Amino acid sequence: MTNEMQFKTIVAQYCEVKPEDMKNEMRFREDLGFSSLDFMSFLGELEDTFDVELEEDDVLKVLTIGEALEMLERLQQEA
Amino acid sequence: MGMLIRDILENSVEKFADIKAVKWLQKKDILERSYKELMENVVAVRKGLLAEGFQGKHIALIGVSSVEWIESYLGVITGSTVAVPLDAGLPGEDLIDLINRSDSEGLFLSPKLLPLLDAVLAQCPKLRKIWMLQEEEAEASNEKVVSLADLKKASENSGDCDKPNPEDIATIIFTSGTTGKSKGVMLTQDNLATNVAYVRYTAEPGTVMLSVLPIHHAFCLVMDWLKGFSLGASICINDSLLHMVRNMGIFKPDVILMVPMMVETIYKRLSAADPAIPKAALAANVFGGKLKIIFTGGAHLDPFYIDKFAEYGVDIYEGYGMSECSPVISSNMPGDNKPGSIGRPLANAEIDFDHGEILVKGSSVMKGYYQMPQETAETLKDGWLHTGDKGYLDEDGFLFINGRVKNLIILSNGENISPEEIENKLALGALVGEVIVTGENNGLTARIYPDMDVVQAKELGEEEIRAGLQSFLDEYNKNQPTYRQITGLIVRKNPFIRSSTKKIKRQEAMVDEPMK
Repeated sequence: MTNEMQFKTIVAQYCEVKPEDMKNEMRFREDLGFSSLDFMSFLGELEDTFDVELEEDDVLKVLTIGEALEMLERLQQEA
Repeated sequence: MGMLIRDILENSVEKFADIKAVKWLQKKDILERSYKELMENVVAVRKGLLAEGFQGKHIALIGVSSVEWIESYLGVITGSTVAVPLDAGLPGEDLIDLINRSDSEGLFLSPKLLPLLDAVLAQCPKLRKIWMLQEEEAEASNEKVVSLADLKKASENSGDCDKPNPEDIATIIFTSGTTGKSKGVMLTQDNLATNVAYVRYTAEPGTVMLSVLPIHHAFCLVMDWLKGFSLGASICINDSLLHMVRNMGIFKPDVILMVPMMVETIYKRLSAADPAIPKAALAANVFGGKLKIIFTGGAHLDPFYIDKFAEYGVDIYEGYGMSECSPVISSNMPGDNKPGSIGRPLANAEIDFDHGEILVKGSSVMKGYYQMPQETAETLKDGWLHTGDKGYLDEDGFLFINGRVKNLIILSNGENISPEEIENKLALGALVGEVIVTGENNGLTARIYPDMDVVQAKELGEEEIRAGLQSFLDEYNKNQPTYRQITGLIVRKNPFIRSSTKKIKRQEAMVDEPMK
């Protein structure tokens, strides 16, 4: 499974949208219906799955799927 | 007669001296503090405050859960001072307002909030001292700013405080007000101590509790920390909501207090797992392997989750309370549980009803709102606290909730939101003509009728209006804690329906045909 598919599979746990229907501009809370805690839990799973470390202050700026994917890519490159 | 938190704590230290009272993570290491060590620090803070001349004064605390925070809090309330715990996630201007409105003369501040320091020093003239919640020397050029270690040093040649009186105010906890201004709930020593004593839950000393809620909330402060200490529990600090599941694996808790939103999120993870994985194995993986009990409060939990979690070997007990009642009013308990209800009232709480509204009287009911006599008189009548919730007692004595009287939005994370407070801020947007905030889908939705003068002057189309309003909301959200962020936007075609006195009819706020 590619990074992106793995990422979207995790997203799909918290919402009704299927991975193949997810678009980069979709917002986690407004469009996917994540609660604030779903979002935190999802980020925790990202850390564990992709072995990266997120800064709580940075992640709060992330609103969309595209922004989260970009952040993940950047962290993986830095690691 | 009456009870003191100090007596409860001293009794625990005598019985559980070597048991670990607090555990927390520093990077990957688990650090621990025993009841005896905890008490030494509590006494040092208490004596330090006396030596520095803070007797009878109000002391604010701003920070997330930490051993330094709780030791400082206990130092304040076991002496002759009043603790004012504040939400570290609030915008700086709100924190400054609450420091000033609570007449705080001292402040314990988390090092993470160092950027707030200059504004606090400049705008809180009553503050005489700020203690950074750290053992290292404080990095500040102002003589008012020192560290916790300096305060403890000041205690070395000081005597100890006398015990407070049970009727003395121990703490002031801020809660959302229906008028848009938060109210400081004054709780006495006896209010807090009897709430701890009358919640009938018992556990073996050394029972592991994971504290995942914000420490400035009454539910967390009194039921995780004070109740936990009364039982000799080991209370583990969840350092981030990002890591709640990971930390359950590290600390292996027996008991956790949660708000319904946490239960809902965890259930999503459980239900998304491969059905081939046995439930016991999945539960061990998610909950750490020992979890048996979750107490929930702060908002109503759908009983669906109670049945589902039972399949994973975890019992959920729902309770009910509010800061004004220190906070627990009723709770289900192991062996005395009726799912869907909010449990039996505590033995120190008398319950009555006024047109269906739940009234409470008893030793855990607050003394009043700090410097708000009118609000106090509206809420406390002849000793009866008007909860703002509607409910009934069934034939077995279990309490049920079935509606609300007050205009507050209760989110499933337990946060009470005053819509007016947010509407007042959103009304400042240039494109905002009228706004009503409602609670939907676990978040807040702003229903906005655009300012038509601006729309016409700028010749804006539907999409531009929506984009302009969304960008205004994004900007507003940046400075707000997550629970006060607006996650839904509905642009109205028509102004809100108003009453004959020209007030917006809130109950009809949803009546409109949205633009899209």
